[in-house]
Amino acid sequence: MQVTFWGTRGSLPTPVRADAVQQKVVSALLSANGQSFESEAAAARFAEETLAFPERSTYGGATSCVEIALGSDQYLVCDMGSGLREFALDSMRRSAGGHSKTYNFLMSHLHWDHIMGFPFFTPAFDPEATVRVYGGHHELETALRRQQEKISFPVPFDWLKAHFEFNTLTPGERTEIAGAEVELIEQEHDNKSFGYRVALDGKSVVYCTDLEHKLENMSQEEDFVVFLRDADVVIFDTMYSLSEAITMKQDWGHSSNVVAVDLCHRAEVDRLIMFHHEPAHDDETIHRIHRETIRYEELTRTGRPLKVLCAYDGYQVSV
Amino acid sequence: MNLTCQERDGALVASVSGPIDHENADAFQASLLPAVGQAAAAEARLILDLHDVDYMSSVGLRVLMRALNEARAKSVGLVVADLNGTMREIFEISRFDKLLEVFDSVEDALSG
Repeated sequence: MQVTFWGTRGSLPTPVRADAVQQKVVSALLSANGQSFESEAAAARFAEETLAFPERSTYGGATSCVEIALGSDQYLVCDMGSGLREFALDSMRRSAGGHSKTYNFLMSHLHWDHIMGFPFFTPAFDPEATVRVYGGHHELETALRRQQEKISFPVPFDWLKAHFEFNTLTPGERTEIAGAEVELIEQEHDNKSFGYRVALDGKSVVYCTDLEHKLENMSQEEDFVVFLRDADVVIFDTMYSLSEAITMKQDWGHSSNVVAVDLCHRAEVDRLIMFHHEPAHDDETIHRIHRETIRYEELTRTGRPLKVLCAYDGYQVSV
Repeated sequence: MNLTCQERDGALVASVSGPIDHENADAFQASLLPAVGQAAAAEARLILDLHDVDYMSSVGLRVLMRALNEARAKSVGLVVADLNGTMREIFEISRFDKLLEVFDSVEDALSG
């Protein structure tokens, strides 16, 4: 399997501002002061090896959209945030090269930041495309149709030419989708959300976003330890610090970096990928939180090491 | 995990030891919340001496938060003291250093 992050930001698209880009350029120039580069490749190598991630790059600002390529002839995508547009363009290039036009979506939930990319999902206009939408909610179709009503968008859902199927899944049951075994778990979030475990050929990827671990219901976490057990990759909502998640942002429906590490430690997960970044955080802040999370993993480790990675728009991971 | 309480200079000092994680968070809570009640009954501050706590996972931290909520409801001042290097880092990473007043030592907390 190969995981591609098309959108990693929580709640709201967060484009990088001009002044932030200028600051990166200034910082990079200062770091390169006195250096000379024979070629573009040498300069690129310097950037990659010498500059810190927020100095040379950005975590990006598109909202949740994660592709899990199964090596089969069908697409499998978690959520339809604003990152879906980039996926759509890329998949159309791949489909033009012979990839099938069957798209399978696993929906964590139907809040706006997780469906806002769909009106710009160009393959939906292709009469040869099949779009299968899976989720734990019964309102899958309603949510997509509603955001394309006249008051919100100029192109009504009925103009779309693709063949659509909407499938409500049941937590605890395993379903074969695009050749992979998919299981879901109900999560604490406003109007509920669902996490997914995708297993293929002895490997597994878990996608758990927009979930809260409430102070008064810590015993519920045992279910997540079971759900995450021995996963190769866990993509997890790490939007807040623990103190934020249980005080002023209690009931906002999100988790923290330290709860993510603890659950992954207990479940003996191989790799944790931090996801659903707080829109108020700039690249420096996300980078710092990533470093802190790596440190927390070291401080609390009692078993095998957990690799702590941080998603950014365009990030790819092989499983 | 072990928790023992001692009255000192008008405060209740609760000394905690051992790692605190999912294995013993329930026991930690079962010991800590009565200590809050004991401090409330004595109209005393509650000082948590964490000198011998090796580390605390998110479950333990959330028990602390429950105790803090309980203390606020009972008008008890709850502070922590004497964190080792690991615990100090965990407090910083979890931002618990913004939630709870942290003293370098129990003596500092007693005079604070």
